[in-house]
Amino acid sequence: MKRRDFLELCGLAGLGLAAPVGLPTSGRSATKEPEAYEGPYYVVFNASGGWDTTYLMDPKGVNNINRLYQEGDILTQGAHRLAPIAKHIQGGMSNEDFYKKYGNELLVFNGLDYSVNNHSPCSRYMATGKLDSLAYPTFAALVAACKGSAAPLAFLTFGQYSATGNLVPMARVPYLHSLNLLANADAVSGTAQHPYHDGFVVDRIEQALKEQMESRVSDARLPREERSQSMLYAAQLNSKALQRVTPYVPKNTPKERLSQQADIALASFKAGVCVSANLSIGQFDSHNNNDPDQMKLIPEFLAGIDYLLTKAEELKIREKLVVVVQSEMGRTPNYNQGNGKDHWSIGSIMFIGQGIKGNRVIGATDEKQFLVPIDPKSLALDKEKGIRVRPEHIHLVLRQFAGIDNHAFSKQFPLEVPEAERLQGLFG
Amino acid sequence: MYRESILREPLELITHIVRTNRPFTELVTADYIMVSPYTARGYGIYEELKDQFKNTEDPFEYIPAKVPALKSRSGKVQKTETGFYPHAGFLSMFHYLRRYPTTETNRNRLRARMYYQHFLGIDVMELAPRVTDAAAVTAKFGIPTMQAADCVVCHKTIDPVAGLFQVYNADGHVGPRKEGWYTDMFGPGFEGESLPETEQWRALQWLGERTIKDPRFAVAMVEHVYYILLGRKTLKAPDDIDDPLFVAKRRAYQEQRKLIEEVALKFTQSEFNLKVVFKALVASDFYRVDGLATLAEHPRRQAELDDVGVVRMLTPEQLERKIAAVFGERWGRLDNRESQFKILYGGIDSKSVTERMTDPSGAMGAIQRIMANDVACKNVAVDFSKPANERRLFPLIELNVIPGTGDEADAQIRQAIVYLHAHLLGRTHAANHREVERTFQLFAGIISDAKATKGLESRGSYFCERVDDQRMEDSHYTLRAWRGVVTYLLRQHDFLYE
Repeated sequence: MKRRDFLELCGLAGLGLAAPVGLPTSGRSATKEPEAYEGPYYVVFNASGGWDTTYLMDPKGVNNINRLYQEGDILTQGAHRLAPIAKHIQGGMSNEDFYKKYGNELLVFNGLDYSVNNHSPCSRYMATGKLDSLAYPTFAALVAACKGSAAPLAFLTFGQYSATGNLVPMARVPYLHSLNLLANADAVSGTAQHPYHDGFVVDRIEQALKEQMESRVSDARLPREERSQSMLYAAQLNSKALQRVTPYVPKNTPKERLSQQADIALASFKAGVCVSANLSIGQFDSHNNNDPDQMKLIPEFLAGIDYLLTKAEELKIREKLVVVVQSEMGRTPNYNQGNGKDHWSIGSIMFIGQGIKGNRVIGATDEKQFLVPIDPKSLALDKEKGIRVRPEHIHLVLRQFAGIDNHAFSKQFPLEVPEAERLQGLFG
Repeated sequence: MYRESILREPLELITHIVRTNRPFTELVTADYIMVSPYTARGYGIYEELKDQFKNTEDPFEYIPAKVPALKSRSGKVQKTETGFYPHAGFLSMFHYLRRYPTTETNRNRLRARMYYQHFLGIDVMELAPRVTDAAAVTAKFGIPTMQAADCVVCHKTIDPVAGLFQVYNADGHVGPRKEGWYTDMFGPGFEGESLPETEQWRALQWLGERTIKDPRFAVAMVEHVYYILLGRKTLKAPDDIDDPLFVAKRRAYQEQRKLIEEVALKFTQSEFNLKVVFKALVASDFYRVDGLATLAEHPRRQAELDDVGVVRMLTPEQLERKIAAVFGERWGRLDNRESQFKILYGGIDSKSVTERMTDPSGAMGAIQRIMANDVACKNVAVDFSKPANERRLFPLIELNVIPGTGDEADAQIRQAIVYLHAHLLGRTHAANHREVERTFQLFAGIISDAKATKGLESRGSYFCERVDDQRMEDSHYTLRAWRGVVTYLLRQHDFLYE
């Protein structure tokens, strides 16, 4: 079937502009909270500003690319090569410790072509797999819409590019204890023992709202009104599921930025109210004093990933996590006059998760930090006939891995990757 | 207070221009700024202005003023031919410049980008052209932004404007580079015209003068007003011709573009009076339409009408103002600085969170429930405790009127509901309207359930029905039932959306 025909059918079936899947429609008679979403849970870590890959997963130590180590200092852990940074950092987690702990599970892709080197388009491109459109949803939003848009915090975001394609509302929960406030919306000060209304009053109110929603189906409403009424009803109804979060909200809030975000995401995952989370810390844009900045931020970033995975283990949801670790660009192979590094359109991406075969490095950059093409079928380096792997190649694999590549929402936002360029077996 | 007073200056400039019917082009050409008695002291011009203020103790009374040429601690005076700082509306305000800082490598390009976006409506980063191998281009050319065709295409436009900001440092203060402006980028200018050397001291004024002659300025301002009124940006031209709804979307875009351009023309002809734009957009069908004559069932028709009508969820600030207008008192939990609800409810802090959320998540749905419960809790009993003619919510009903006890009682209850619908939802419903009937059934149903429930207290709740430290009598459960009704109404689309 041609794409145009398929989309026409989607449109005629109401999937083009109508309320997203998971939102109540006229046919859905429910006044109860949605079922818990039980995974997989998707987490995208963003090193916002552009990380220096040569100080992490793609070490060089030649051609003055790095001042803190030489080629001979480069470490290995299984199949991985990593930059030695332990002696240059003050806090967080070193590459050495991170690879020791997660090397066996870690898949690294080096030599990713961002194609441009400005923050805004690069962030959009990395998040959505589409460079030249503002309409496309991020992978995190898309997977939330496809797998569980009825979850009240289906798509959690803490910054960085977070477009939703109008498929699912984004949720911002900046503070851990905000979750407690929201969990008991029908009780005074969130204290369950002090409900505002008697139970039968609440039931009557919900029933009246449901009947009102259903009665409006035959009204001649503006499309925007129809959609917004549907989304409003869903938001209020689905919000009841937030009461499941309370048991999983940690009593103490960690100091670290990523750990705070991770706690909110994990509590939401565990409670079954969230599908995906976009976690982010900034200031990687080290135009001045590259090395001190990267030596501060890379360990903080790795420590955040470690925190999430460790806590997920404790919560017994680790095996349900799919973690993507990325940045919107790399940094130049040379230092500028301010000891900084500017934007570089070649970079890396990392993955950890159930079903992703670790202890592997795919792709590469050369000694000048230029991309080395790969054969999309064997994934081996192929300078002559290989392809330049771009975000759309990666996103297509992610969609396939998540099992949403044939979902109507994915079809609405297609990724134009020729059949011959599709990566085979990237995740093992 | 001083800080708040300074922070308000840019918005006060807009207020001044609009209130006094000055041409809105002053947004980029005003040769003055707005100062308060507090900030005037900071600029060192208080003594000469103090007689012009009505109240010199009011930190938020603003008047237009010119700041003299700046003088450094070493005694060096800013280069100027008028003796004054070369004000150019927003362009030269340190608030604006500081919001978009620069670095040695950025070289004011962010400022140039924001200039194009804010004042000419062009997002230069929106459709970044793909380069075959951006890294190779960077490495191949000595100065890619001046030599590589892939880079020149944008930098030839952006870099000259960036050069016009050259005297401003990273913090937005006057502080040109000691080494002079960069020579490895296109020189200062605008759209192909170079900045004359004689104009260098007033480069941003020079830019402002050219900006207002550019037809894109008027269109951009109309688009800003559209966003203010409708809560969303104007449509972008559809570009996917494979989309089966392409024709419908293009028609929607063309119709809206026609409106924007018509209003932009009126705006220009009115000597850039911004009120004309508000009036024209509010009077347009796009703004006024609130329903359809017939069902729009076909997706193509839905696509054509998709952006028609206001239908915007109220922001935290707007919802607070609405609550204050309807109940006489703000709720206070949505917009104060310490409130966790402000960001949760899709608000912005203008620093790390700058995009408002327009569709409600489950978290926002929970806040709506909290708000409805709590605002009803705070207001219903208090309202009933007042004499009928002083009540905002229930001037037409008393608590001893019980549904099902006679036609007169039911009619009275219906009238009270009609009043509530008008007061809370802005809907003028007849007493036999289906929505009035639904609300009536809710009220009657609650009373009926209460009757059938054993062990209920005959007084209202400690938290919601306590007035002057006494829990109000509620033996018929009508007080709590009316609170349930108000809660129900506050959760509705008509209350939460515009």
